Amino acid sequence: MADSAGAPRPSSSVKLVLLGEAAVGKSSLVLRFVNNDFQENKEPTIGAAFLTQKCNLPTRTIKFEIWDTAGQERFASLAPMYYRNAQAALVVYDLTKPTSLIKAKHWVAELQRQASPGIVIALVGNKLDLTNASAAAAGGNSEDEDEEGGGGAAGGDGGDESGDARKISTDEAKTYAEEESLLFFETSAKTGHNVSEVFTAIANAIPETSLKSTRGPGASNAVSRGGDEQRVNLTGPRGDAAKDSCAC
Amino acid sequence: MESLGEEPWDVVICGTGLQQSLLALALSRSKKRILHTDPNYYYGQYEAALTLQEAESFAAKHAGGSSEAEKKRSVVRNAAVWKPDDAEAQGLKFPRAYSLALAPQIIHTKSKLLSSLVSSRAYRQVEFLAVGSFFVYEPAKDGSDPKLSRIPSSREDVFSSQSIPARSKRSLMKFLKFVLDFESDDQKPLWEAHADASLTDFLTAQFKLEDDLKRYVVALTMALDGKASVRSGLAAINRHLTSMGMFGPGFCAVYPKWGGLSEIAQVACRAGAVGGGIYMLDTSATMKPSGENEKASLELPNGITVQADSVISGQETTASVQAISRLIAVVKSPLNSLFQVLVEGAPTPAVAVVALPSTPSPIYAVIHSSDTGECPVGQCVVYLTTLATAGSKHELEQALVMLVYAVEGEDSTSPCLYQLYYEQALGDRQSTTENHGTTPALSFPPLSATIAFEDSDLEAVKTAWSLVSGDESDEDTYLVFEDREGADAEDEVYE
Repeated sequence: MADSAGAPRPSSSVKLVLLGEAAVGKSSLVLRFVNNDFQENKEPTIGAAFLTQKCNLPTRTIKFEIWDTAGQERFASLAPMYYRNAQAALVVYDLTKPTSLIKAKHWVAELQRQASPGIVIALVGNKLDLTNASAAAAGGNSEDEDEEGGGGAAGGDGGDESGDARKISTDEAKTYAEEESLLFFETSAKTGHNVSEVFTAIANAIPETSLKSTRGPGASNAVSRGGDEQRVNLTGPRGDAAKDSCAC
Repeated sequence: MESLGEEPWDVVICGTGLQQSLLALALSRSKKRILHTDPNYYYGQYEAALTLQEAESFAAKHAGGSSEAEKKRSVVRNAAVWKPDDAEAQGLKFPRAYSLALAPQIIHTKSKLLSSLVSSRAYRQVEFLAVGSFFVYEPAKDGSDPKLSRIPSSREDVFSSQSIPARSKRSLMKFLKFVLDFESDDQKPLWEAHADASLTDFLTAQFKLEDDLKRYVVALTMALDGKASVRSGLAAINRHLTSMGMFGPGFCAVYPKWGGLSEIAQVACRAGAVGGGIYMLDTSATMKPSGENEKASLELPNGITVQADSVISGQETTASVQAISRLIAVVKSPLNSLFQVLVEGAPTPAVAVVALPSTPSPIYAVIHSSDTGECPVGQCVVYLTTLATAGSKHELEQALVMLVYAVEGEDSTSPCLYQLYYEQALGDRQSTTENHGTTPALSFPPLSATIAFEDSDLEAVKTAWSLVSGDESDEDTYLVFEDREGADAEDEVYE
């Protein structure tokens, strides 16, 4: 952790939180974005706390600090610290699974209640490779990144005779996203379709003003008098490592 | 949901208080199957941070007193909330704008809690703020107004102090020098014979400290009964002095932003979840009777029964009679003068501590600025603590009025927008273990309800960790972890 001590970090950090029903592909989307990688039959998320990825825009660089739910969403047990200071959220549903959009709407409401007022929310319908709409859809093999370890998700829904497992129309989700002023994309973490576009769109949507400080505007009741100079660094007086990327 | 009950869990942890949560953090790399539940719909139990709405349900739940007939008493009792009828008109904001800490302990920079958070890599998700000045309340006398006197708390501070006469400075400096290595063989003979005697008397006899200075020293021990012994008092002052400057100039303790130990509990539970632990809030797990050769079974509210190889929980009742009274008050002015930066380069303090003389025991007021995220800008939250007596609620309310008057200089009989009062047992200090069938079960004692976090509260966590880890336990790995993978994408840039 100490190797990059003291290196300048010109980019602005943006905390991005992931939300959505188990097994819709939250971690897979991030894995595709960060490592350009995809794993079939991925286990439920364990060990992934926090990933970082830079996103270069023409005028600025955004460094996403991407927080995974670590499974705490499953029994509605996310802590306030998860939402705190989040400037962006990715609310993911599985477009082959109608209940997952209902759940996504619930998370959007929860964000509007718990998170900073200016938070940028993107609604993402994942698993586009399981529909006809995707030229890249490789027939047969369902994208089963079952996060629940047997929690009955994508597997059974995958193999429609026509090869189209879509259960949620683009129009339906898009209309909802427009009503709630959300960014909207349909993606495939498996093929990579539209994945980087989601993150670029989020980066573009973050208002310049909220990038001034490294921590953004703060949670609903956060109104700081001093900014960052009152933070204490536990690795020593004005030490290093703390700004380095992090995990639990 | 069904899968919860199929296989026995290695550990079921009941409750997300600080100690249970730190245990979850300690086990987060062990690959053990962990189910972690809490009966409340928020994290932290008696260390939680509450919105005003949550404070109301907390007060309703713990409103009961402790009847003399009951041998066992609940840990928290006599809770009540109050606000003026026109609180909103006076400036009270919406309930979620507040985060009232049930465990507002300051944490000395030397505390093992902080070094454990660093070695376990959990510290990065907590924002720590500086605890600034310590004050003693001086009542009005000879026509002068009541005021707060700042306690000089380092040798530099004593040097530069205007209010201490030169002769007194010398004796105080001599005392401070002594305290810094009071445990050395050179200094031990000076105090060991009086270890259990009163610190005040010792200061008089050995250092000829004047009354004012003795009050400063005794206040800094933060002993709730105001009667620190020589041994415990010297240890407390030593901790205070040696913690000074450790993470930067001008402060000896820190406070986690957004609600104190609640924040650490949340971060520790998140680490537990990242390690694969399953989290269920709003879920009480009830122990079912089990046969001699069976594992313990616990029943969850949805009718599911789970089995466990070990069960860790917190004591819900206590035989302890002694309790503290705590008044948490949202004050409608920011009391800014308490949060000044006094040393160049020091972070802006967010917490100040005031000792108010009172009988039979002193009252400590710990004031949190809005920088803590616990209240909106323009207000502050005052946490008043004293040993519980029949009249202590009224005394704390009086102390609040006196404090605000001493800071603001103008009379305000009702400085308060909202208040939560409760009494909390001081606890038995010991974890309890018993067996349910073949399953060992350990219950943590309630956390010390002291002004500063006590490292001794961490011992039970390690005991529980050893119990759960069994033969695999290697003490060197306790709460010492590498950073998790995925933190290395630093230099790749997605165009």
